[in-house]
Amino acid sequence: MNANEIISSGLLEQFVLGKTNEQENAQVLAWKVTYPDVEEELLAIENDLQMLDFVHSKKVSTNAKQILLAALNSENKTTNIAQLDTTSVVPVIQSNFWKYAAAASIALLIFTSIFTFNKYNTLNDKLAKAETEITNQKQEIASLNQGVEGVASSQQVVLKGTTPTSTSTAKIFWVRNSGEVFVEASGLPAAPQGSQYQLWAIIDGKPVDAGMIISDNKGKKYNIQKMKTFGKAQAFAITLEKSGGSPTPTMEKMVVMSTI
Amino acid sequence: MVLSLKKKDENAFSYLYDNYSDALNGVIYAMIGDTTLSEDILQEAFLKIWKNIDAYDDTKGKLYTWMRRLTHNLTLDNLKSNQHKYQTKVVKDEMVVVNIQVSNSVVYHLDVLDFKKKLDTLNPKQRQIIDMSYYQGYTQEEIAAELNMPVGSVKTKIRSAIIELRKIFVK
Repeated sequence: MNANEIISSGLLEQFVLGKTNEQENAQVLAWKVTYPDVEEELLAIENDLQMLDFVHSKKVSTNAKQILLAALNSENKTTNIAQLDTTSVVPVIQSNFWKYAAAASIALLIFTSIFTFNKYNTLNDKLAKAETEITNQKQEIASLNQGVEGVASSQQVVLKGTTPTSTSTAKIFWVRNSGEVFVEASGLPAAPQGSQYQLWAIIDGKPVDAGMIISDNKGKKYNIQKMKTFGKAQAFAITLEKSGGSPTPTMEKMVVMSTI
Repeated sequence: MVLSLKKKDENAFSYLYDNYSDALNGVIYAMIGDTTLSEDILQEAFLKIWKNIDAYDDTKGKLYTWMRRLTHNLTLDNLKSNQHKYQTKVVKDEMVVVNIQVSNSVVYHLDVLDFKKKLDTLNPKQRQIIDMSYYQGYTQEEIAAELNMPVGSVKTKIRSAIIELRKIFVK
């Protein structure tokens, strides 16, 4: 084959691309030495390829180089340790051992970290729930204590059903010196949906709003609760009103009443 | 440059990376079609270049050619081990040459923009053949089978495409 035939054979491109076998490589390298034209063409093909690749460039992400250099450094250190004592096999084994040990430690560390992090999150959730629970219970206890203290130093007023057949009852604990009013309404039937019991103080013949009686949210149970404060009152009454209460009592819906 | 590299000079290596990483990444990406995997292979390739720099023989060709060959083979190994060579070929049926990524390399920046336009003047068949041969890891025989033409004319087509390309580069 002469230089022109070699050049147009397509083998040179294949050689540059690394697609030729050992035998072909040797052949091409031999031609390169023999024919200046082949050498020139090879260089031209290499330049073409390089230029083509630059046109096809794909930007590498910015942190990739740092990662590579870090990998290179750790690689070098390993090599250096191994090279310290080439007369003995032991350091090589050691360097491998440390490499594996380090890899294992890192793997373990990552695993433990993930595990710990998950555990931490779970515990954090539990803690938050427990704290909320405690706060709620504290509030409940405080309100009950208030009720208990009030009841202990109070005048008790019994409210009875306003119709002869009614079995509804309620109690008012009225703390004389402070005027605080507590109501214990567990003797009342559950208020129908959309309605609520409202307490009234009758002062000088006129009903004055004393607050809404709130059932606990779990059911229809009425705990002792603090109502509005009155210095004086002649009577108390409870009416069934629409949820949220009314400015004046609906007299025909009066459930229980007392006289003092 | 090569001497500094053989002395394991990190600055020389850093220079090598700055100048050729995008180009080699493009070579890998054209074969793989996956950005993350490409960069993984690129890292591996540069580590290999660093470790095996002593194996580079400048009487056999340019440093870039050696690096590219190493990178290309590494990518092929990866493709083989992942066994998605065939899939990639199907996916990459669209010509890579058409979708040129502009290099960030300062030196080549202007040239690249220019070449991008000029490459469009290559006829589609030539572009396809260059693409399959240079970037998708096809052998001449595989191109012949794929495009349903004799191996002889594949060789001729590659040759004429390269001559066209060279005209573009020299212009």
